[in-house]
This record gives sequence, C-alpha cells and structure tokens, in this order.
Amino acid sequence: MLQILIYGAVSSAIYAMLAVGFTLIFGVARILNLAHGSFYALGAYAAYVLTSLLGFPLFIAAPLAVLIVAGFGVVMERFLVRPLRSSQLAVLMITLAVSLAVEQALFITFGSEYRNVPSFVADKLSIGGVDISGQRLLALVAGVLVLLGLWLFIQRTRLGAAILAVSQDPEAAQYMGIPTNRIFSIVMAISAGTAALAGVLVSPFLTVQPTMGLLPMVKAFAIVIVGGLGSIPGSIIASLILGYSETIVAYLISTSWTELVSLVAVVVTLMIRPSGLLGRRAAF
Amino acid sequence: MKRIAPIDIAGGILVVAFLALLPMFAASNYLTGVLTVCVIYGIWASSWDFMSGLTGRENFGHSLFIGAGAYTAGFLSSIWSTNPWISLPLGVVIAIAFSLLVGFPTLRLRGPYFALAMLSASAILQRLCLIFWEYTGGEEGIYGLDPLMKTPLHYYWFVLAILVVTVIVLTLLAQSHWGLLLRAIRGDEATCQAAGINVTFYKIVSLMISAGFAGLGGALYAHYQLQVSPPLFSVVVSITVIIMVYVGGIGSIYGAAIAAILLTLLTEMLRGFGEYRLWIYTLTLMLILFFLPNGLIAPLWRRLTERLR
Repeated sequence: MLQILIYGAVSSAIYAMLAVGFTLIFGVARILNLAHGSFYALGAYAAYVLTSLLGFPLFIAAPLAVLIVAGFGVVMERFLVRPLRSSQLAVLMITLAVSLAVEQALFITFGSEYRNVPSFVADKLSIGGVDISGQRLLALVAGVLVLLGLWLFIQRTRLGAAILAVSQDPEAAQYMGIPTNRIFSIVMAISAGTAALAGVLVSPFLTVQPTMGLLPMVKAFAIVIVGGLGSIPGSIIASLILGYSETIVAYLISTSWTELVSLVAVVVTLMIRPSGLLGRRAAF
Repeated sequence: MKRIAPIDIAGGILVVAFLALLPMFAASNYLTGVLTVCVIYGIWASSWDFMSGLTGRENFGHSLFIGAGAYTAGFLSSIWSTNPWISLPLGVVIAIAFSLLVGFPTLRLRGPYFALAMLSASAILQRLCLIFWEYTGGEEGIYGLDPLMKTPLHYYWFVLAILVVTVIVLTLLAQSHWGLLLRAIRGDEATCQAAGINVTFYKIVSLMISAGFAGLGGALYAHYQLQVSPPLFSVVVSITVIIMVYVGGIGSIYGAAIAAILLTLLTEMLRGFGEYRLWIYTLTLMLILFFLPNGLIAPLWRRLTERLR
C-alpha cells in the first residue's frame, strides 16, 4: 500500500513536470508543441554527455543540461515556430518536424543503444519498510519544488503577472505595453527547461535512448486533455490521477496494461467533459 | 457538381499508362516491388488528403488505420490461414472500426483534440503490439502471409488499379455536394453549424471513408511484404504520408497520390544515405512549410495546363 503511495507520487511528479510545461506554452502562446517530448529526451542526453563523456560533476551537469535545452527551445520558438504562428496546422507540422529531427540526430550521434547516467544519490532509503532509491526520491522532491517555484513565480512576480495577462488576452496585453513576443520566449524557456529537468532526473533510472521522448509526450497530452488544455492546476491534478492509476494498475493487474490507462482516460474525458477537469474554455 | 476538365482526365490517363508500362521496359522484380510500394503510399496519401485536406482536421495518426488494416491481414492470413482475399474487406472494416473509436469522442470537439488523440492512439497501439508479443509477434511481427497473386507484376497492376479507383472515387466525392460541405467546414465550422449542417456527422463519415481506404492500403501492403511489424503504426509513417500530401498540394487528392509515388521513388534512390533519409524528409517538410505552403505538384499542374482549360 505504502509502496503504491510512494511510487505513484514519483511518477506523478515526473508527469506533472512534463505536462505543466506543455500546457503553459499552449495556454500562453497557443503553441501546441509536439516537440515537447524531444526536450525531455535532449535533457537526458545532455546529462549523459556532460557526466559520462565530459566528466562534469553532477551538480554542475544537471543545471547546465537544463539551460542548454531551454536555449534550444527558445531558438526553436524564435526561428521556426514564430514565422508560422498564423496557422495552427503549420505550427503542429513544424514542431513535429523538429521532434523527428531531434530523434534522428540523437540516433545518428549516439546510436540506438541504451545509455547509462550515474545516479545523483547512490543511497537507498527505507520509508516505513518500503525501499526506494534516493534518485526516485530526488525526482519527487525536485518535481514538487519546481512546481511550487513555478506557481510562486507566476502568482507573485511582475513577470508572472505579465505571463498571465498574455494568456488571457494577447492583444490587450500588447496594448498595455507587455512585450508579447519576449513573454513567449520566456515561457518557451520555462517549458523546455522543466521538460529537460524531468529528463535529467529520470535518466539514471530509466533507459536513455533516442525514442524515449515519444511516450512521455503522449502521456503529457493525455494529462493535459484530462486536466484541461491551458490549465496548470488542472494538469497537476490530472498528473496525480494518471500517475496513481498507472501505479495501481501495474500492481493489481500487470505493467503491460499501464499504457492503456492514459488512452482510456483521454477517451472518457473527451466523452464526458471535453474541456477537462479545470479547463476554462468550453471546447464545444 | 463541378466537371472535371478534359485536360485533367487526359493527364491522368497518361500518368496511369506510363506507370502501368514502366515495369515492362526494365523487367526487374526490384523495380516492380519499389513501384508497388510507391503506389500503396499513393493510396495512403490520397486517403489522408480526403479527410484532413478537405475538412482541415489534421490526422496525425494515419498509421493507426494503416497498421490496423495490415495487422488484420496478418492475423487472418498467417495465423487463421484464411483465403487472402478475405483480408482486404476485413482490413477495411477493422480500420473503419478504429476510426469510429477515435472519431466519435474527438471529432465533435473543436480545437486540437482530434490531432492529439490520433497521434496518441497510434503511438499507444504500437506499444501494445510490443507488449502483447505472445499474440502479435512483438518486434518481429507476423510472418508468412499468403500472396494475393502469383507474379509481382500482376500484383503491381492490381494495386495500381486500386489506386486509380481510390483517386477517382475520392475525387468524385470531393467534387460533389458532399465535398463542398467538407470544404465549408474547413472554412468556418460555426457558420456551417448555424446553417443547419450536422458538422460532426460529416466529419466522422469522411474520417470513416479515409480510414477505410487507408486500411485497404495497409492490407495490400501486408500482402506485398508478406509480413507485418509494429513500425507500421509508427509516427514516422504518419508523418511521411502527411509530407507527401503537403508536397502534392493539400486538398487536391491526385497531387497527393503523385507526390507519394515520386517521393517514395526518391527515398529509394536515397537509400545510399541510410540513416540520413529521414533528415532529408524532415528538411523537405520544413522548406515546404516556409516556402511553398500550397504544395508543389497540384499548383504546378494547374499552372502548366492553365491555357488548355
């Protein structure tokens, strides 16, 4: 029982980190970013290159990896997405193209073998008789801190207020003197950064390989649809729901069936409440 | 109903005749095989174009229908060893069933739900194929399907005939009142709804038609390769099909089919580049998005034949 509680919390935290960035960039800039999964994969690979190949110490490698991927996200938004923003379809296509290009680039450079990243924390902890690796616990703690920080940033700072304003009405925000395009870049950096951080944190205990971004991205879609497109609290709640239901299914039935959970969740949500749990906009 | 210009019919007949005679000049099974794959991609691309090109609801998981058709053929022919001709109609039926499964919850909504759901559904089905490997053969897939015809050349002609039928049926549908409604939905969905058109019904039926032809193409592909495997469900297949439609010119159907044939031939010629092939594809897509948003084949053809109309 306790095991389900802890492992469910860990996967929820990772899903939440992915989904929040995805929903944020959609809510603010109306960009449906199909390259979100490649940020996650790039984060993991950046951690691999910096630690295993270049021998950086971990506490430098991790933030560096996040920064590199955030920079990549900003460049992508500026030069590939922004010129095509007038058409939603073109945005979908270009971001999908970027994600394929990244996957292929990783494949060509590193091959399809699984890569290993050393653990950040080697110790195992025991909570109430359940053994859990320190790395998973670190992912949980970091996830909670990042989400908390993001929430404080958006609610309490001037920049956060500007982001909220743009998400409510980009044109009105522009008239009020908010530099919308710069806000988009900042949000893209945050979005790519959180996805990359999720990738960095899971890299020691999951397999690092070129196609690793696809499935988490599919999960992020599912979470965002269940939680409501563009709603951050909604996506956090949905991450908890999905993370726990997957863990419970894995324990009660078998791990094979976990992949179906997100599909069922999406179908049920779209049939009963298409706008999601906390979606603001009616989808009809 | 808009008439199809005589010059278009003449051009179509010329292209089909050329394609049909091509393997006669260079009698090699290799070329016939490549051409068969080209033509099957033509079926996939034109079926994608019918739904997504006309209504503007982008389907990012066409491989779901392709794979469904192919795996149906695989199960029927290899595991239950039925007559291979049964797999074609049943492939169509199963693909349509999948289209209803995804289409019903998502197509009544506006926004990106349909695109996301299709992408997720095809990715998850690929995973399921690997997870339930006892039944699907996992990574290896299903082997030992029966061929539909004795010689590759006959099969190529058969598949070409199906492509011709596909393009004609879809073009006639697209030119009809029905196609006009679909285009109207792309233009302004809310106005269509206000005009009393059951938008959801039209979108779902057009997805069913699109899925049916894709499933047929999938079953044909399975009986050509005599084997099916999980990459049929992959996002790469869907995106390849979408790129073909983009090059052909969205909403033109014949452009999509011709672009599919040309691009598959090009891919075959690029085989030497190995791993870089997909890069070249992705780059093509980016260049087209930026510089030729209307596509290449259909606008070019219209330009060339402008005087003769």
